[in-house]
Amino acid sequence: MKNGAVDLVQLRKQFGEVAAVDGIDVSIEAGEFFSLLGPSGCGKTTTLRLIAGFERPDGGKILLDGEDMAATPPHRRKVNTVFQSYALFPHLDVFDNVAFGLRRAHVKKGEIKGRVTRVLEAVQLGGYEKRKPGQLSGGQQQRVALARALVLEPSVLLLDEPLGALDAKLRKALQLELKAIQERFGITFVYVTHDQEEALTMSDRIAVMSGGRVEQIATPEGMYEEPETVFVADFLGVSNLMRVRAEGADGGACLTVLGDFSLRAGRGEIAHQGETHIVIRPERVVIEPYESSGANRVPGMIERVVYHGSSEQLVVRLASGDIVQALFVRDGSSHDWAQGTAVQVHLPAEALRVLPPSSPGEMAAVAEVAPPDSGAALEVGAS
Amino acid sequence: MTRRWFWPSFALPGAGWLILLFLIPTYAVVAVAFGTFDPIFSTPVPIWNPLHWQFASMRSVLSGLEPGHAFWIVFVRTVGYVAISLAGCLLIGYPVAYYLARHARRTKGLLLVLLIVPFWVSYLMRMLAWVGLLLPDGLVNRTLMDVGVISAPRAWLAGQASSVVLALVYGYVPYLILPLYATLDRIDRSVLEAGRDLGGSPIRTFLHVTLPLSRHGILAASVLIALPMFGDYYTNDIISNSPRTSMIGNQINLFFQGGSEQAVGASLVIVLSLFLAVLMSYYLWITVRASAETKESLL
Amino acid sequence: MRRVRNWFANPWGQPRALGAITWLYMVWSIAPVLIAILFSFNNGRSRSVWQGFSLRWWWRDPNNSVLHDPTLRGALEQSLRLAGLDMLIAVPLGVGLAIGLTRWRGYGAKPVNYLMLFPLVTPEIVMAVSLFLVFDHLYNVPFGTEAQVLGQVTFSISYVVIIVRGRLLSVGPEYEEAARDLGASPLGAFRLALLPLLYPAVFASLIVVFALSIDDFVVTQYMSAGQQTQTVPILIYQTVRGTATPALNALASLMVIVTLLSVGLAYLVYRWASRAQPVTSSGALNEIAALEA
Repeated sequence: MKNGAVDLVQLRKQFGEVAAVDGIDVSIEAGEFFSLLGPSGCGKTTTLRLIAGFERPDGGKILLDGEDMAATPPHRRKVNTVFQSYALFPHLDVFDNVAFGLRRAHVKKGEIKGRVTRVLEAVQLGGYEKRKPGQLSGGQQQRVALARALVLEPSVLLLDEPLGALDAKLRKALQLELKAIQERFGITFVYVTHDQEEALTMSDRIAVMSGGRVEQIATPEGMYEEPETVFVADFLGVSNLMRVRAEGADGGACLTVLGDFSLRAGRGEIAHQGETHIVIRPERVVIEPYESSGANRVPGMIERVVYHGSSEQLVVRLASGDIVQALFVRDGSSHDWAQGTAVQVHLPAEALRVLPPSSPGEMAAVAEVAPPDSGAALEVGAS
Repeated sequence: MTRRWFWPSFALPGAGWLILLFLIPTYAVVAVAFGTFDPIFSTPVPIWNPLHWQFASMRSVLSGLEPGHAFWIVFVRTVGYVAISLAGCLLIGYPVAYYLARHARRTKGLLLVLLIVPFWVSYLMRMLAWVGLLLPDGLVNRTLMDVGVISAPRAWLAGQASSVVLALVYGYVPYLILPLYATLDRIDRSVLEAGRDLGGSPIRTFLHVTLPLSRHGILAASVLIALPMFGDYYTNDIISNSPRTSMIGNQINLFFQGGSEQAVGASLVIVLSLFLAVLMSYYLWITVRASAETKESLL
Repeated sequence: MRRVRNWFANPWGQPRALGAITWLYMVWSIAPVLIAILFSFNNGRSRSVWQGFSLRWWWRDPNNSVLHDPTLRGALEQSLRLAGLDMLIAVPLGVGLAIGLTRWRGYGAKPVNYLMLFPLVTPEIVMAVSLFLVFDHLYNVPFGTEAQVLGQVTFSISYVVIIVRGRLLSVGPEYEEAARDLGASPLGAFRLALLPLLYPAVFASLIVVFALSIDDFVVTQYMSAGQQTQTVPILIYQTVRGTATPALNALASLMVIVTLLSVGLAYLVYRWASRAQPVTSSGALNEIAALEA
């Protein structure tokens, strides 16, 4: 019987003065790949350890399929963990490592052998039973750690940045493998990571966390296209945040004032009035020749052209003073956008999103995570 | 949950042992030092209640420590021996540690092993070795006579301060070299290279970069061997066996041979411990200050 | 002359002077011991004049060799007896103390830590005197083997703690967490995930306690009760200035060889057992050696 729905209700955990987890509400569905995403110190690992049972909550509830688990010690929860450092027992070989949990549960010897062999095949390590962890590569160790947890057929599998120690290429390959395994076994995965690309690639849904709180829970596309706060907008990919004065809705879009320019923003809090931010993704920004005219266009000058192999990034300074990044996929067509060229920057209304006003604390968190105007800040799309 | 007491309970037997056989015995020293004397049985009687402590024995020890008196002479002599031996150990030990840390490449493993071997040779065996060499017909006398430095065998083992100091240096220098080596090894090579790069000759780099950086290690290693040296009595007994070279340790030892002078011996132990505690505190104070400084400096 | 000076002052080569000093030191440090061992094979009674090679002091002489002389044999046996008992008691106490100290989160941890560190900086005579007095006046423990064991264990525990604690800290809590995650109780996790990783350190501390015990003098002497409870160091102390024969050298050499062999063995086992784990060999070497200090 494997359900695996996890509910966190007003979960709180404090370390001394600091609230590592500050009253979060998360509902994870059975069988979904759910990621906890955020910068270091946001509370995602603490949340995971609370679900695993290595920390006791100071408030709130942890429900597994409706049952409160807060009082259950870790070795009795139907939840297993894949640790960031794998924590494979160095004195045991691969077989004994994977069989460890089964032996603790007093499973019969014959059954143990069968289950271990099958799960090792599933992670493509059939035949490695006699090896010791010290003789395995990083990727192989990670798969043994996975097998060790999977063989127990938990309802929920917790993964704490399991791919952090691997190089980029191996990481990408394993991301696909993990996703395939999750879909095949149907286990709920709760996946902690600080790498937003990883989260976007693998998850069914993501929860972005910052400062012990949940900023937003959404599907990857929803999170990327419709960020609800400045932090979320800035954490996932390049966001092109601009401060504006919103003047309320007018015919299905919000009238915003950026410096001396007026822009219509068609998404988000279009009825808002007051100081706030608008955001647009770099791949939606259209660079036009200086002479072109029309609504939602702001003149600017190209400050830098950055070559990213499959794409090109233009850093443009608008006449209002803001920096905007535009992303071009290199499709073979040529253009004249060189450093120093004067252009018109078209920010299409349907791609321009109004965000709710943010607190100074939030702005500080944003500044910490993504320093403004860094040419290397381009995340999604570049390889 | 019972978890809070789970781990500390592992420590309980060991901690209990140390309390019973280390902590309480130190109190026994105080109780005997400030105790009285039973005239009938000629035995010292410890007084456990601080309110009833007698200070006669301590007073006699303290008066013996006044300049010119018996204990003072021994004390000064001990400080002298320790100081000279320490200097000798540093003079010999620092170059060796330095060479080992900074230069020996291929031979480093072998040298480290050779360095560590004396640790595991019993101190008394090493003294036995020197007695054999320093006997009137021993190798030292015979070689010196063959070479012509002396004309008649010298009595190295009869109350010679130089022999005692030599033995102390021989005995304790390995305990100095290893921590010194560890300190010097830890000095970042690039700091020294920077010194050379900025125009210092090898000697000046040593004087102005290496030496200051190893200052704390030198102090630590010195304290490490000075502490036991102050309590040493057997070196003197084996190499000299004469009251002319007796150290504080010998004095203390004397008072425990008979059994009736325990209070005086205990008082001496207290004085010695306090003296060493002052040394230790000074060392710890320097350490705390040094680590506070290094936290702020880039070096 | 100039060539000699240049050879010494080579700026890119090894500093020859320092190297020479170092090797000279090594010779000076080890030669006397080697000579003493050599003299144990002396044909005559002298410990300072070579009279030919002989095994008489080791086992040939029916009265005065190490094998046959009851005083010498007795000292050897007492040394080994004390070492065995010391190992048996001090290591479990020390391992427990190390584990408890590393995991203790409460208020008692700091004082117990200091309590453990104090024996390491206390001069032996202070410790010996305090034990002497407390046995004489408070605990009424008679001097002799029991008292000697009690004294030796007291200073051995701290060394065990340092060795095991070093290993514990490098192991970290994650293996036990993984074990508990997989269904082991806290005690089970300790037994299955942590203890096996400590075996090298436990073995190393056994050997260190052995060596410390065999070579100990001050505490053992103060706790002794006459000739019956003499150990080899005490025997050396008593007879070295007198009419001791090379049998004494033989006895001492025997102890040296036994100690060096066991330390060498411990080092090899420690390296073999930790080979898959991130402990550097020079680190282990320094650890084991720095303990004597």
